[in-house]
Amino acid sequence: MGFLSAILTFTLITCITVCGLYILTGLTGMFSLGQAAFMAIGAYAGGLLSVRLNVPFPLCLVAAIIAAIIIGYFIGFPIMRLRRDYLALVTLGFGEAIIAVINQSVGITGGSMGLTGIPKYTSLTLVVIILICSILFARNFRRSKYGRMAIAVRSDELAAKSMGINVPRIKMRSFLIAASLTSLSGALYAFFIQYADPTLFNWRKSGEWVIMVFFGGVNSLTGSIFATFLLTSLPEILRSVQQYRLLVYSALVLLAINFKPDGLFGHWEVTDLFAKKKKTGIRKESK
Amino acid sequence: MSMLELSHVKKSFGGVKAVNDFSMKADSNQIIGIIGPNGAGKTTIFNVISGIYTADEGQIILDGVDITKKQQHEIALLGLSRTFQNIRLFKGLTCLENVMTTYDPVSKYNLLDAILLSKRRRQEEKKSKEICMDALEWVGLADFADERPENLSYGLQRRLEIARALASNPKVLLLDEPAAGLNPKEVNDLADLIYRIKEERGITILLIEHRLEVVMTISETIYVQNFGETICIGTPREVQCDCRVVEAYLGEDN
Repeated sequence: MGFLSAILTFTLITCITVCGLYILTGLTGMFSLGQAAFMAIGAYAGGLLSVRLNVPFPLCLVAAIIAAIIIGYFIGFPIMRLRRDYLALVTLGFGEAIIAVINQSVGITGGSMGLTGIPKYTSLTLVVIILICSILFARNFRRSKYGRMAIAVRSDELAAKSMGINVPRIKMRSFLIAASLTSLSGALYAFFIQYADPTLFNWRKSGEWVIMVFFGGVNSLTGSIFATFLLTSLPEILRSVQQYRLLVYSALVLLAINFKPDGLFGHWEVTDLFAKKKKTGIRKESK
Repeated sequence: MSMLELSHVKKSFGGVKAVNDFSMKADSNQIIGIIGPNGAGKTTIFNVISGIYTADEGQIILDGVDITKKQQHEIALLGLSRTFQNIRLFKGLTCLENVMTTYDPVSKYNLLDAILLSKRRRQEEKKSKEICMDALEWVGLADFADERPENLSYGLQRRLEIARALASNPKVLLLDEPAAGLNPKEVNDLADLIYRIKEERGITILLIEHRLEVVMTISETIYVQNFGETICIGTPREVQCDCRVVEAYLGEDN
């Protein structure tokens, strides 16, 4: 597989994660700095089942999602009632803890040597299909009552509660959805590079994802996906000016956040191009 | 029969008795005004009823159900809606979506329906839209359904908050200073609106208000609070003549 196609696959896999983070951080307003740990959970759950037990590939992907939901539930249960800044801290600690556990259990995971010998099942086509499903998932989620309630929680928890919204439940739901999608992308990643090691999944990766969601626009799925493409491929494109690339990257992110606090796209979605007519329709009916 | 009944409710913050032994009875289809100087504990009463704070002592019954120890969202689902003194609309949602958040917790479709755009989702969303457009029409905001709330004037934002509170078809509605910051014309319209909500929808309304012209014209009973204590209960006329009320507002007569 060529270099470009490899970068593209990797970018699309990141997009799957970002769909989940759009729901978690973009809609619900929760910051997870340990999200990469869920990617590790997916990579190792899928990879180990395949390498050690010869479990078929689709089942490995399902297992990755289930593992993330179970672990996410136990992590999520105590932290759903925390304020959002504490949530970032707790998830950061949890993320590092998971990485440490993987590092230490040499017998099972291979520790810092990494897990090798994962078969290459992930293809570009498969990633594209799963990404399209994830995008549709996120879009339909946003346009349903779940999306509205999530935004209500992000905007004003107290008011959301007095509208009858069960805030911890909404937060848990978003957390588990993000965990599942991240874990799924982790499994796809492991079956793509045929290898997993704990250093791939540190908190800096989680940080990058949060940047992507904010850079593109907290309220815009289009923006988040666009930002993922730009910010994942940018370091690769700028490879020729190696020493300056982090500089350019950081400058770009800072400029965007400074001059467009709502992100590049703000509220705008691609589908808005087609939705204009329908909206004015509602307005007329009401008169 | 009484819709909302508070008996001997107490709430302190440290040494400050914000609400001291407050009892109240509100029948259905009634407007009750709560007035008093700043710091009299009026908003605390609302916060205790709606579950933001739990009462230290006393009991609160909403339509036969004891809600004293219940959580905020449970109380809301039992039929209690409120607005806030400082407007708390949801940024990032349109006006219609803001109103729809009140109906969403009872909307009957699940995550799978939402993702697969099932028929049940379509029906429920349609129903929700109808109910919420109706609430917007009630307050005269139907034309602004797709607008973002931050683009509305202050007076319209207040109305939007009332529409949001109405969409769940509550039994009891708590309005916390709905006329604050409005001009005289808007105040008049608002008083009409509140009266109409009571008359046509039969909702019990508790109203905290500093603009006495609003409270005096539409409430049937007025509770006057001062430093956490109820100093007077009566009809608008009785309250206006009560010397303790005048004292609380204007200071003692020397």
